[in-house]
Amino acid sequence: MSPLTPSTEERHSRFELRTLLETSRLLIESQDPDFVLNNLLLITMGKLLVPKGMILIHKPGDEAYFASKSKGRGWLAEDEELKAEFPLSVLETSVIYGEDFKEVFETIGIDPGSVLFNLKTSNHHLGFLCLGPKGNKQPLTEHEIEFIESLSIISSVAIANSRMFQELRHINRRLDRKVHDLNTLLELSKDFNLMVDQNDIARSFKFAMLGQMLIRTFFFALDVQGDKRIIAISGINDEPDADQLDKLFQLEDVNHVNGAEDCPFLEENNIQLVIGLRFQNEKIGLVGVGQRANKEGYGDSEVNFLQSLGNLALLTIQKTLLLEERIEKERLEEELSLAKTIQEGLLPNPIPTIDGFDIAAINVSSRQVGGDYFDLLKMEDGGHLFAIADVTGKGAPASLLMANLQSMLHALAPLNVSLEEASGRINDIIHDNTPADKFITFFWGKLSPDKKRFKYVNAGHNPPMLFRENKSEPELLEEGGVILGAMPTLMPYSCSEIEFEKGDLLVCFTDGVTEAMNPAQTEEYEEDRLIECINKNREKNSSGIMQAIIDDINDFSNNIQYDDITMIVLKVS
Amino acid sequence: MKNFTIAKRQIENISVLDISGELDAHTASQLENSLKALIDEKQFKIIVNCARLEYIASAGLGVFMAYIEDVRGLGGDIKLTNMNDRVYNVFDLLGFPTLYDIHDDEQEAISGF
Repeated sequence: MSPLTPSTEERHSRFELRTLLETSRLLIESQDPDFVLNNLLLITMGKLLVPKGMILIHKPGDEAYFASKSKGRGWLAEDEELKAEFPLSVLETSVIYGEDFKEVFETIGIDPGSVLFNLKTSNHHLGFLCLGPKGNKQPLTEHEIEFIESLSIISSVAIANSRMFQELRHINRRLDRKVHDLNTLLELSKDFNLMVDQNDIARSFKFAMLGQMLIRTFFFALDVQGDKRIIAISGINDEPDADQLDKLFQLEDVNHVNGAEDCPFLEENNIQLVIGLRFQNEKIGLVGVGQRANKEGYGDSEVNFLQSLGNLALLTIQKTLLLEERIEKERLEEELSLAKTIQEGLLPNPIPTIDGFDIAAINVSSRQVGGDYFDLLKMEDGGHLFAIADVTGKGAPASLLMANLQSMLHALAPLNVSLEEASGRINDIIHDNTPADKFITFFWGKLSPDKKRFKYVNAGHNPPMLFRENKSEPELLEEGGVILGAMPTLMPYSCSEIEFEKGDLLVCFTDGVTEAMNPAQTEEYEEDRLIECINKNREKNSSGIMQAIIDDINDFSNNIQYDDITMIVLKVS
Repeated sequence: MKNFTIAKRQIENISVLDISGELDAHTASQLENSLKALIDEKQFKIIVNCARLEYIASAGLGVFMAYIEDVRGLGGDIKLTNMNDRVYNVFDLLGFPTLYDIHDDEQEAISGF
């Protein structure tokens, strides 16, 4: 290079300053490292008229460099990798000459006349700018070195910035994705709350999973009290059979499929991951997912997401099942209350009045419907039929049998059949129609049209008590036969007849009266207390006596009723 | 009921679904039914125009995942077009655009078949 006059030198330096300024603006504003490196190389090569140049970028962790840019022949080609790591003495030197660092130049494979400019920020080594000898073989001047050093520093900062920017963008992206994951969870938890159909929930869960994981193969199985079944499925042709489902439910809670499961279903459908979902520590849900479309695997965060969303779906379905149960219960209760109304209609209301008699009757079921029955019918001949009965058991089953008895009694009553014979027929029908452990204690009697005689049959019922005037011990009306429904009528029922006199008191009752329990459940009310109570209240009218008995029982049992209570109280006036 | 509607158009042998409103867990099954109906009618060239789609949740995207491979297997495709940025961002976050066809406008998608 020819010596410069001061004015030319000044011009040169001003030119270099302007180039520096413009380049630095260009480089710093760019967020593309490739652009920065390309410019750095081209500007320096052009400015110094260097025909060969290259930029090596360090790959931390790999102990290697790669040629990010390479111009001119004979050196590393672009993107070619160089296995090398240099000592700190090299990495801390800004400008590296061949004569000082011969091995470095040999390693990189560049002419000794070249110069390396270190690309580094205050704490990171990024790589080297390698410049070959100038076209005119002249060494670089001090000015030129300074100029390139400055450019190198600016470029390094620009690269570091753009790397940071990219890193930030990457982190931001991951953050966005996390936010999206959370949003999905949040939104579905709201959506699930509005859903009451488990199929809707399962389908929403399925689609969310397909979208979120970018998959098309999916299944969701539930174990509802031992009944394992698939409730949502996608991309699978044949559902797993019961055996395979059993096997799937026995897998680990997080099972990355590896072939050891010995389950053809998993292999045929390329299921990658099976996750068990627990409710109150019991595994009742299973989610399987197939290959992701982006070929990525299932990492911790995917497993976490699957578990969270799966648990959410499971809980919601569990909730709907409970809700269904409750609705079913309410429906049953409604039906029972309807049945109660029907049953009440089977009992005489109001109770017919009979001249010369003072009659009261009551039926209190311990449940909505019961198995006790009483009746009072006026016959065509002017007589009256009385009946009281108790079906074994309580609730709906007993009430069915009670209704059956009621209809038989009403069908037989108008016919000219004796009480004994009718009792036999009823017994046979009940015996034929009911299981052996269902039977009925039954008492019925017919008051003659002149209201003097009372003919009765007692089929195993608590004997009604007949209190004669001025007597405190009752006569028991026991004549009859075995309880209804226990066995076929082998022996005909027998009957007996009494004569009513003024002042007589007849009390018919079911075992809910005499078997009422004290609160400790150790003692029953029993006949003796009943007789005592009746004698004490003997002077009252029939409903007064009946109320006194009820009060006494409630007192004894502290108002806890275990069985149906039915009574007919009849006073001859 | 959420605000979501689907209208169907036919451009020669290509079926276009114009979807508008919000596509989420509640409305996903509507889109599913429309896609199923097209597949049943052997209409495998499908464009879903999202110009008036205001919002999409993962469950909405899941519907495409459930059917796109099937349709491709039958020699067709489901191409999505005209998304707004917010909707596109969801597809992008989940990695959808690198695997499936998303076009800026419908014409471009039509020429893609």
